[in-house]
Amino acid sequence: MDLNRFKDCAAAYGKERRRWPAQELELYDRFARTPEGAAILAQAERTDRFLDAFVPAAPDPGLARRVGVPAKPAWRRFGAPAAALAASAALGFAVGFAQVRDEIDADPVARLLLGPQSVQEIGL
Amino acid sequence: MERKPAPEDDALDHELMAAVARRDGRAFTRLVERHLGWSLGFAERMLGARHEAEDLVQTAFLRVWQGASRWEPKAKFSTWLYRVLHNLCMDHFRARGGAQEALDEELPDDAPGNEERLAGLQREARVRAALAALPDRQRAALVLCYYEERPQAEAASLLGVSVGALESLLSRGRAALRKWLQEELH
Repeated sequence: MDLNRFKDCAAAYGKERRRWPAQELELYDRFARTPEGAAILAQAERTDRFLDAFVPAAPDPGLARRVGVPAKPAWRRFGAPAAALAASAALGFAVGFAQVRDEIDADPVARLLLGPQSVQEIGL
Repeated sequence: MERKPAPEDDALDHELMAAVARRDGRAFTRLVERHLGWSLGFAERMLGARHEAEDLVQTAFLRVWQGASRWEPKAKFSTWLYRVLHNLCMDHFRARGGAQEALDEELPDDAPGNEERLAGLQREARVRAALAALPDRQRAALVLCYYEERPQAEAASLLGVSVGALESLLSRGRAALRKWLQEELH
């Protein structure tokens, strides 16, 4: 009965004692050195050795740098570029607006069509 | 691979998390340095692909940063981080719809001196393929208990199963690996 339990544990946890549940260590110590127990552990060891071949490489420093820099809030990440964009847009609008107004004031056809008062009425 | 923090390091993790909650960037960097290695190893063994593991770990640490103010030191930081990583892996599997990606192992050229490394990579590729072929929960049980050596109670809690059910997942997972190995040899 106990040997069956030993076999179940080896099938689940493998050969190494440190991976066995604490409450089963006494069972491990009782059977590990017997011929039956050693044969069971030898079979479990084959699976252990197979699993041991998968050893992920250490993270490269680039990943550590990417992950280790805390994310800034959106307003801090995009705040300065967004402010510069808004300022450029405002400046462009102001310049464009001034040019259009000068052109209308200077254009006799526009003045003829709209008249000086009409130009003022439409807010130009 | 970076070592897992020892139990006595838990207090330091708690201090660092408290500092991260106050938006201390240096504390966050320190926390990443301490836990990035094993986190990446766990994710890579779970997902089978390095680049996916890197993305997942990056997301996990973003959640650490975002969730630090809500974190309560009831358990070890590493246990909490395992849960974050495990949940992200499960989300990943669901999004993938259970379909396994083809193994795309980059092997080096046949340059002299590379044979040993090549053999090592081939052995590793076989394990990746075998693990990837397991059902997600069996793979998770094996990664947590075999590779990460988490206590049974903690691994069972992470998977949301009893300790007995965890043992069953482990047995079935290892039996499937044995069968996979035997079929490969014949």
